[in-house]
Amino acid sequence: MRLSSGNILHALGLTAVILFTLFPFYWMVSASFKTQADILASPPVWLFTPTLDHYREIFADSKVIGAVGNSLIIATATTALAVLLGAPAAFALARYDFRGKSDLWFWFISNRMTSPIVLALPVYILALQLKMLDTHLVLILIYLTFNLPIVVWICTDQFKSIPPDLEQAARLDGADQFTIFRKIYLPLGAPGIAVSAIFSFIFSWNELLYALVLTRRDVQTAPVVATSFMSGYELPWGKIMATGTVIVLPVTIFALIVSRHMVRGLTMGATK
Amino acid sequence: MTFLQLDNIKKTFGELSVIKGVNISASKGEFVVFVGPSGCGKSTLLRMIAGLEDVTSGTLSIDGKDVTYEEPAKREVSMVFQSYALYPHMSVFENMAFGLRMAKLSEDEIKRRVAEAARILQIEPLLERKPRALSGGQRQRVAIGRSIVRNPKIFLFDEPLSNLDAELRSQMRVEIAKLHRNLGATMVYVTHDQVEAMTLADRIVVLRAGLVEQIGSPTELYDRPANTFVAGFIGSPKMNFLTAKVTGADASSLQLSHPAFAGESLSLAHGSASKAKVGDKLLVGLRPEHLDVAAPAPLLRLTVDFAENLGGSTQIYARTGEEAVTILTNGRPDLTPGDQMAAGIDPRHIYLFTPDGLAL
Ligand SMILES: Nc1ncnc2c1ncn2[C@@H]1O[C@H](COP(=O)(O)OP(=O)(O)O)[C@@H](O)[C@H]1O
Ligand SMILES: [Mg+2]
Repeated sequence: MRLSSGNILHALGLTAVILFTLFPFYWMVSASFKTQADILASPPVWLFTPTLDHYREIFADSKVIGAVGNSLIIATATTALAVLLGAPAAFALARYDFRGKSDLWFWFISNRMTSPIVLALPVYILALQLKMLDTHLVLILIYLTFNLPIVVWICTDQFKSIPPDLEQAARLDGADQFTIFRKIYLPLGAPGIAVSAIFSFIFSWNELLYALVLTRRDVQTAPVVATSFMSGYELPWGKIMATGTVIVLPVTIFALIVSRHMVRGLTMGATK
Repeated sequence: MTFLQLDNIKKTFGELSVIKGVNISASKGEFVVFVGPSGCGKSTLLRMIAGLEDVTSGTLSIDGKDVTYEEPAKREVSMVFQSYALYPHMSVFENMAFGLRMAKLSEDEIKRRVAEAARILQIEPLLERKPRALSGGQRQRVAIGRSIVRNPKIFLFDEPLSNLDAELRSQMRVEIAKLHRNLGATMVYVTHDQVEAMTLADRIVVLRAGLVEQIGSPTELYDRPANTFVAGFIGSPKMNFLTAKVTGADASSLQLSHPAFAGESLSLAHGSASKAKVGDKLLVGLRPEHLDVAAPAPLLRLTVDFAENLGGSTQIYARTGEEAVTILTNGRPDLTPGDQMAAGIDPRHIYLFTPDGLAL
């Protein structure tokens, strides 16, 4: 490749973007292995003797373990429900005409137009009245209302890209609607479903506002616990960063696993 | 006996009337081809037979049974789509087995039927492959295989060869003709290509703008087109039309005049000559392949526009006044643009149409 000035600018730009996105991660992960003194040193120390003290501390802390468990339960349940309910809805929206379809569609998007904090207080009061505060279920339900529109949105788009001829061939082959959904749309829509599942999982895993408002002691999620260290006069940065790393890790692994499905061009060869 | 019957079938999409009352019947084992220009409603008609499109009005029956409102799968028809519509995530075997599994056939029976179809279509080595690992011609065979295994009452084809290159297309055309002969099945085949229609069909249905223009065997349509549309559509290159004036008519012969005619007049025996009156205009239809540049008594005097050398034959584009005349001839006549030339024709090959396009 010739090194033109355009290429160099392009490379510089890319490097800047990569640094900008990855540096906070580097900072978090490296700080989780530093002693408090190293973390607070100014100018920052780049070479240091790593320590596992913070990890020992948080894994000894049943609060952190419990919180990660809670987050796992809530994010997994939300994602499973969102896909289970969202994918069939998306199939209907993508392939069938019915009354009120465009209104329904608009309602799905308009859900995303309100800022979450606007609804925080009403939702809190609702949960209080229903005696659902500090339960897994309340977070699962509230996250579902945020995630379902995204899942429906992405899956509808994905299902629409599946050639309608396939469905018609299947109809002639004697498949009913449910079979068509299961045998044609689900496998061919897998990339879109995977993407929407990732979004759903990451959202539920990272969500802080509602988790803070709707939980107390029993069902605190990982982000809530991480921020709870920021109280009192001392800021245990190492512990916060180690917790942060533990929170980010599962999501990263999850995303890496499913990203394989995203890039696979499954519809290739369906039609000429 | 009538096996497939379409009775005054109509179809509208909202306000748009696409099929405007079509009557077709086909007997068992017949190869029927729907031909017509793009957008005339061929696919819509075929999809109504399949049950993929609701019929707006009229009745449709297959094998003596009214299936106008029957579910697609229960009509026992199979369809080969223009896009092939193979299930991309399934192997060739599973693609062909899908319909059989839906019909809850035993695994042994499924294996037997798929193997049989694979043998007929010579795709046995491909059974484990996914569609994306197949060439266009192989996909085409799999799509046909998928329709064979179900033993349908009627095979439907929607422009199945339009995605193939020229060589493969003529090869598959021959194979489909063979398949029809070997299976003895009833087939309805849609194409906009008149060559496919001529070579495959027992009977051709020429459609235009949602209406049947003519139904007949390839020879009938070629020899006795009902109107100028059919005359122009069947045969390649297209039939030439010259507007001539009737200068004399009696019970069995006509005198026509046109500036291009030798002596400006033509005398012609014609069975329906009495229908024409002196002073009427008539369209004279001349097929390019019937015009003879070496005729001893030529009919036409023309000016050469240009000539295309096709190797064994030459296609000559000529002109008389404002009217263009195409000639297809063997060999390579030595012609340069602007040359005067003459062409003759056997009078039995002259077609006559009234000014509104109907055969005289
Ligand atoms: N689902 C549909 N909705 C509205 N118009 C349609 C639909 N399907 C086909 N048409 C119209 O019907 C006409 C005939 O289409 P089609 O049967 O596909 O023609 P062909 O196969 O002869 O090219 C076209 O004008 C097309 O635009
Ligand atoms: Mg078509």
